[in-house]
Amino acid sequence: MIGLIKKDLAMIKGNFKFLAIFIILYFILGLMGKMDISFILPFMSVIIMISTFSYDNYNKWDAYVITLPNGRKNSVKSKYVATILLVLILTIVTVLLSFIIAYCRYHILDYEEILSLTTGSIFGTLLVLSFMYPIIYKFGVEKARIVICSLVFGIVILGSLIIKYIDLTGIIKILNLMQNYWIIVILLFAILLVYASYRLSLKIYLKKEF
Amino acid sequence: MTNALEIKNVNKKYSDFELRNVKFTLPKGMIMGLIGSNGAGKTTIIKSILNIINYTGNIKIFDLDIKEKEDEIKEEIGVVLDDMFFPEILTPNDIDNSMKYIFKNWDSKLFNSYLTKFSLNINNPIKTFSKGMRKKLEIATALSHHPKLLILDEPTSGLDPVVRSEILDIFRDFIQNDECSILFSTHITTDLEKIADYITFINDGQIVFTKTCDELLNQYGIVKCMEKEFQKIDKKDYLKYQKNKYDYEILIENKKDFKKKYSIEVIDKITLDDLMVLMIKGEK
Repeated sequence: MIGLIKKDLAMIKGNFKFLAIFIILYFILGLMGKMDISFILPFMSVIIMISTFSYDNYNKWDAYVITLPNGRKNSVKSKYVATILLVLILTIVTVLLSFIIAYCRYHILDYEEILSLTTGSIFGTLLVLSFMYPIIYKFGVEKARIVICSLVFGIVILGSLIIKYIDLTGIIKILNLMQNYWIIVILLFAILLVYASYRLSLKIYLKKEF
Repeated sequence: MTNALEIKNVNKKYSDFELRNVKFTLPKGMIMGLIGSNGAGKTTIIKSILNIINYTGNIKIFDLDIKEKEDEIKEEIGVVLDDMFFPEILTPNDIDNSMKYIFKNWDSKLFNSYLTKFSLNINNPIKTFSKGMRKKLEIATALSHHPKLLILDEPTSGLDPVVRSEILDIFRDFIQNDECSILFSTHITTDLEKIADYITFINDGQIVFTKTCDELLNQYGIVKCMEKEFQKIDKKDYLKYQKNKYDYEILIENKKDFKKKYSIEVIDKITLDDLMVLMIKGEK
């Protein structure tokens, strides 16, 4: 698996310069108080990793990776591990920058706010990853874009219908009861979701022919 | 272990093509050439062996079932596929860095020596390589973990005669170790005439025959004659014939026996290309 992670990281190393420029820009804008984009950096790891699926598909890598020892399993596992690694690294960068920005601007460190923003961004990113990867494995990168667009559209409509017609006070009460534990609960939920997504992707990939 | 590869009753069905009851054996220490026209099923057989596609039947490599001991077997196999497969954005150095974690026996020193031999720069992205250079990189990668079996789908296509000859020498060296074997599909049948011990001929998804290369090249022959002479030849004594504008070309299985029976003196030596053309396009 490490070999395949290395291969994916080697493929995206060209993006790191662009990412560095983006981080500097984010830092300057944050210092100026123009925007808070704490969600964007971790989310970019998923965007960058999706490009590796495109490279693999374009170069017919998948047929070859199957010929390697434990190829099918390691191929799926390495994509998830490499993405989570990138998410974690970029989350750490985001947290550090957020602390610096908060200190420079307000001379105080609001740990709670930064922590909740970080949890939110990790959860959001892992949620996107969990839905996108099985779709990519099932339909391929090109078709997956259309499927994902349709899915987002469906979720937005469903969400607005739920808010309009279903009473959510019960759920809000439960969330309030959790108080400070919500971060742990939400991260555990995200981990479970990623694991379920990995199992599903693996199931799809094990049956796939190239 | 006596066989490197054993295929029994392998079937695979697509909407427009079917592989039917494929059966052949590659003894250990030998090179087998897989020949056939485009779409005959060579790549489908190779993909079945490597478990890239689902199939029914039984495939054993080193006496182990590929479906049961896949990972163990794949440590010992070197592969070159028909299509280019390395992401163009990578460099040979990236391949080296990845493969050392993939194969237990990966030999970076050997890989680098192949790169030097093939004049491939380790730090140049693959996208800057020509088709031939990419094939050379694929072959270097297939050989660098000391495999016992090479499975090669069109490994010499796109290479010039000089490089092809170098690569055939490498394959010859590879099987100097009696434990090592090669399954080699190609359209360039002259390469096989130089190095193959066995030839397996596939047509329309079915194996036509597996024979030793010497048997094919020494015993088979082509008789060229006029219609009058052709009419005298018993159908049992030839495999296929082709009617040309002025004469007939007849594919025979045993030159000696044919000479004894008929008064035709000139029997041409056969090439694998002739054999393929007559077997596919000829009539009976």
